[in-house]
Amino acid sequence: MRTRHRKHLVRALCVAAAAAMVVAPAAAANAAAPTGIHAAQSSAQPTDKSDAKTLRVATSGFVDSFNPFTSIYLLPTNILRYTYEFLVQNSQEDGSPTEGLAEKWEPSDGGKVWTFTLQDGLKWSDGKPITSADVAYTYQAMMDDPAMGVANGGLLSNLDSIETPDEKTVVLNMKEPQAPNPGVEIPVVPKHVWEKIDKPAEYANDKDVVGSGPFLLESYKANQSIVLKANKDFWRGAPKIDRIQYIYYTNSDAQVQALRSGDVDMVTGLTATQFEALDGVKGIATHSGQGRRYSAISFNVGLKTRDGQAYGNGSPALQDEAVRQAIRLGTDTDTLLEKVLGGYGEPATSFIPASYPKWTLPAGDKVIMKFDPEAAKQKLEEAGWKAGADGIREKDGKKLELRLYVDSTSATEQAEAEFFVPWMKDIGVAIKVESTDTDTITAETTKGNYDMYFSGWSQGADPDYQLGINTCANMPTATDGSGGTSQDGWCDPEFDKLYQEQHTELDQSKREAIVRKMLEMNYTATPQIATWYANSLEAYRSDRFTDFSLMPKKDGIIANQSGYWGYLTVRPAGDDTAATDGGPNVGLIVTGVVIAVLVIGGIVFVAMRRRNSADIE
Amino acid sequence: MSNAVPATEAVILEEQGEVRPRGVPALKYASSKIGGALISLVMVILLGFFAFKILPGDPARAAARDRQMTPEQLEQLRHQMGLDKPLWQQFTDYLGNVFTLNFGQSYVYKQSVSSLIGEYFWNTILLTGTAAVIAIALGLWLGQKAGWLHGSTFDKLTTGTSLVLWSVPTFWLGLLLLMIFGGTLHWFPTGGMTSPNPPADAPGLVLDVISHMVLPVITMVAVVYAQYVLVMRASVMEERTADYLVTARAKGLRDDLVRSRHAVPNALLPAVTLVFMHLGGLIAGAVTVETVFSWPGLGKLTFQAIQGPDLPLLQGTFVVFSAIIIVMNLAADFVYRWLDPRVRRA
Amino acid sequence: MSAQIATIARSPRRLAWMRRRKALGSFCRQFSHNRTGMAGLILLMLVIVIAMVAPVIAPAWMLDATKLIDAPRFAPPSWEHPLGTDHLGREIWVRMVWGAQVSLVVGFAATAVSMLIGTIVGIAAGHFTGWTGGLLMRIIDFFLVLPSLILAIVLSSVLQRGVWTIVIAIGLTSWAGTARVVRSQTLSVEARDYIERSRVLGAGHWHIIVKHLLPGVLPLVLANTTLTVGSAIIAESTLSFLGLGDTTMQSWGAVLKNSMDYSAATAGYWWYVLVPGIAIVLVVLAFTLVGRAVENIVNPTLRSR
Repeated sequence: MRTRHRKHLVRALCVAAAAAMVVAPAAAANAAAPTGIHAAQSSAQPTDKSDAKTLRVATSGFVDSFNPFTSIYLLPTNILRYTYEFLVQNSQEDGSPTEGLAEKWEPSDGGKVWTFTLQDGLKWSDGKPITSADVAYTYQAMMDDPAMGVANGGLLSNLDSIETPDEKTVVLNMKEPQAPNPGVEIPVVPKHVWEKIDKPAEYANDKDVVGSGPFLLESYKANQSIVLKANKDFWRGAPKIDRIQYIYYTNSDAQVQALRSGDVDMVTGLTATQFEALDGVKGIATHSGQGRRYSAISFNVGLKTRDGQAYGNGSPALQDEAVRQAIRLGTDTDTLLEKVLGGYGEPATSFIPASYPKWTLPAGDKVIMKFDPEAAKQKLEEAGWKAGADGIREKDGKKLELRLYVDSTSATEQAEAEFFVPWMKDIGVAIKVESTDTDTITAETTKGNYDMYFSGWSQGADPDYQLGINTCANMPTATDGSGGTSQDGWCDPEFDKLYQEQHTELDQSKREAIVRKMLEMNYTATPQIATWYANSLEAYRSDRFTDFSLMPKKDGIIANQSGYWGYLTVRPAGDDTAATDGGPNVGLIVTGVVIAVLVIGGIVFVAMRRRNSADIE
Repeated sequence: MSNAVPATEAVILEEQGEVRPRGVPALKYASSKIGGALISLVMVILLGFFAFKILPGDPARAAARDRQMTPEQLEQLRHQMGLDKPLWQQFTDYLGNVFTLNFGQSYVYKQSVSSLIGEYFWNTILLTGTAAVIAIALGLWLGQKAGWLHGSTFDKLTTGTSLVLWSVPTFWLGLLLLMIFGGTLHWFPTGGMTSPNPPADAPGLVLDVISHMVLPVITMVAVVYAQYVLVMRASVMEERTADYLVTARAKGLRDDLVRSRHAVPNALLPAVTLVFMHLGGLIAGAVTVETVFSWPGLGKLTFQAIQGPDLPLLQGTFVVFSAIIIVMNLAADFVYRWLDPRVRRA
Repeated sequence: MSAQIATIARSPRRLAWMRRRKALGSFCRQFSHNRTGMAGLILLMLVIVIAMVAPVIAPAWMLDATKLIDAPRFAPPSWEHPLGTDHLGREIWVRMVWGAQVSLVVGFAATAVSMLIGTIVGIAAGHFTGWTGGLLMRIIDFFLVLPSLILAIVLSSVLQRGVWTIVIAIGLTSWAGTARVVRSQTLSVEARDYIERSRVLGAGHWHIIVKHLLPGVLPLVLANTTLTVGSAIIAESTLSFLGLGDTTMQSWGAVLKNSMDYSAATAGYWWYVLVPGIAIVLVVLAFTLVGRAVENIVNPTLRSR
């Protein structure tokens, strides 16, 4: 009995001592700044990449490949913008064409022939000169092999042939005259490297990259890290930092924690909550920039193929423009922006974002309808929809019930639906929300089996493509929805006429006026209710880096630009100490101690058992 | 879900009541058990094929979802994926693929599913293995102590805590720990397996990984050990009243030696069997724990596959998870045989 | 003696009902002596009542985001907002109350499916000998081995998203445990003499199963049911958390998913994470305690615990 009590006492003391040993250093280390340990570690390793001239960017992005001809994922295409200069670059100011490889260009023959003159003295990163042969090789490869045109081939659909009269001149002969500059958005690759590759469409292009942009891919480990190194010979001047390292975080909250503790220097794609949580934190600068994407609720206006065959099971009620307009009148997009996005965005007008001020439909335009539920109710009454006993309108015995697809992985869409459904009920429209996965939504909307869903498109600097997918010429050819790309399934022959006009109008201000008319037409027809142009919420460690360039220059964004300005001008903020570190070091101490205690405890336990073994019989 | 069977004493009694094979020769035992495991594996593979064939939708379109494809390109892709072949031929292709561990290409990661699983497999084993060892050791030890001291404060406390923890959803506990220890107190990192720039030296790297493992392992152990405690406790309580123990006590043996030398080894038998059988719950818990803590493992892959949705990946992880559990059960059968002296008679 | 015969001349059915009522009475009495069981039961009754009066104490407009435009978002718990508010300004306690409905209904429905399949298969596996029984046993073992969460994930992904998919997914993946227990109970009941006598008297399978096996197995099934509901509620919350649930419903798992989407854990909105979780723990604990109490009564050998 006595031995047992003593043994228990000793055991209890051991546990108490262990607990104290664990808590004390943890508390102490937590109180003091544990910078010391991490700094010691980093200075002991000269190859540690967390030095002052490496910008560490958190990413949750996926990489399909780094081949500029086939890659379409956001992260690699953005990296490719930094790797390869275009013939004509998008300016930082507002995305309009500016010098790239070419210093000047001249459309002639009404826009059917475009002549580009390359700059002097351009060199690839391996020293070889950049000539018109590289441009010709790139464009020709895309035209000859459809596999090489996967990423950007659509931009060259109007190209007939390329001529290179001399090393500095490129002549693009288009099939039809066009106003948009054909030299934008296509990464030009070095002929002397790529012509030697056996199957260029399958080339991974993830090492020994020869490029012309400010940052080149140095190393890539799938799902782990991507490192870009600065190209000192970039024609606009060498970047002021040495490297950019992309670090994978699949959980966006983890990115934010990492920024706080100094493990990364830049995070993008924050939610409003995360953004506000970082606001005002010392050493961190938050930035809310105008995005280049619009979000909308898209209607099924009654889908027809290019030949006029109807398909899909959309509600006939939506084929009436008055009903669509009534729904627009009954939707308070300002409140949606305020409540769902936290106000981080612009109220939308049409499908061209406000970050392209030349093209966007201004908020004061004459066709804009403001939130007015009474007007909405009146419009529905006039259209023949009378309110029934339960408040839901009916016409010819049919109730006004519409389906809304919501993506179950999108918290934003779910929140929007929470507002939209009661507003619609208020004006007499019953909404049935169907929450399902992305693939099902894509499949059903392609086939035309929907009434409303949430859609949105990101856009480049020239609106031609986006306007084009609203034309009748691009409607699907088959009744299963394939064979064409249409933004909302709406089209109007008048719109098509205007499209052709702006496509060939070389005078900038005249072209803007035509586009304005087109957007007004689309707005009135209401094939979609554009809800907002979401801001891109970013944050970075201002104590480590500064001088990011925004695009557009005023209120633009840093990452995910349609240009390479963001990291071109960034420089270290002059603070050379290593970043402060939080958790891991304390955790190291704690776990080290715990292991030590367990080992010691185990030895003690065994020793004591041995001592008592004399008792066995 | 932490279990398929609620951990109750009823199950223990049922285990003990089952007729055990006596004196089955080792080889016959082994071959019958391995045969059973293989059949289960085959059924899992079958399930893997047919479950995904129910899906209404076009895998080719899903694979090409981010790309604008012409109808001809889609047909080409469909042909490449073998979707235009008759069902039975797709099935034989699938079988062949599974045997070469080819689960197709992930829609989201754009690399082969088997290479993805290969990358992440050992991370999950590290996490779940550690958690399993700790949970079993802790659970069995607490259980036998509580069972022996039935009715005491220790017993009530242990049982109470176990019941409460058994009612906790795994992911919520993880979120809670993340919030308190990762977010507020900053004691442990909030995610991942290593720091972004991990120390290059081996001991540094090991400590780094361990510091990232602490919170997820605690989460997994906390929810699962409760089951083992209850199971072991019930088993020991059964043994406590056995006759042979009366003899041992009469001979003057100390109480805790009676417990540790005689009662526990015999109580261990049905408990261990159940423990191994419910290891499936532990491993499946890895899905939620890895998601909450961003641990790069199979569970995390499963979550990404749900989000995608990425069906080849889901199919692959389903088959792999099930295979792991079937192997664990096979191991359990062998351990059981080795432990039970009644069975060992060849 | 004739007087005795006169007073107890009742129909066999009447006698059977009297016997059952007496058994029920004894059951309730025993249950009331079990303190933890009673505590669990009271808590459950409370939750069920709250779920039923949800439309009264928390009228539907309190969930309407458009009526709450001026309500503060992410407000911490205080007198005006007892459990805090969520990302749209809705009261968390309102969501909890409505969520009780969903979570309980899903829990019960999934358990019903699971119990039904489990009991049927279990009895069949126990009753039929030969290779039918062996095959059923193999199937039960197979489903026991399968990781139920993973299988539920697969099912929820391939079927259309929604509440009933979750119910089916949980039901189809958790019946094996019940089946196993039912099977062993069936085996022990089968061994009793009166079964053999019934068979000799010419009773068919159906008669034996319905008249003898089922009543013998039912008490254990009842105990198992209560425990399984707890399990099903946890499963529903896990599936919702992973994004497989119906996002238009207010289940507690959906509230937790919202908290994850809006970074509540790292942004310091602790009430968003704590409240739904505690609710789940309490309800599951209550079911577990009740289940264990029922089991104690039904299985006398367990009474010592």
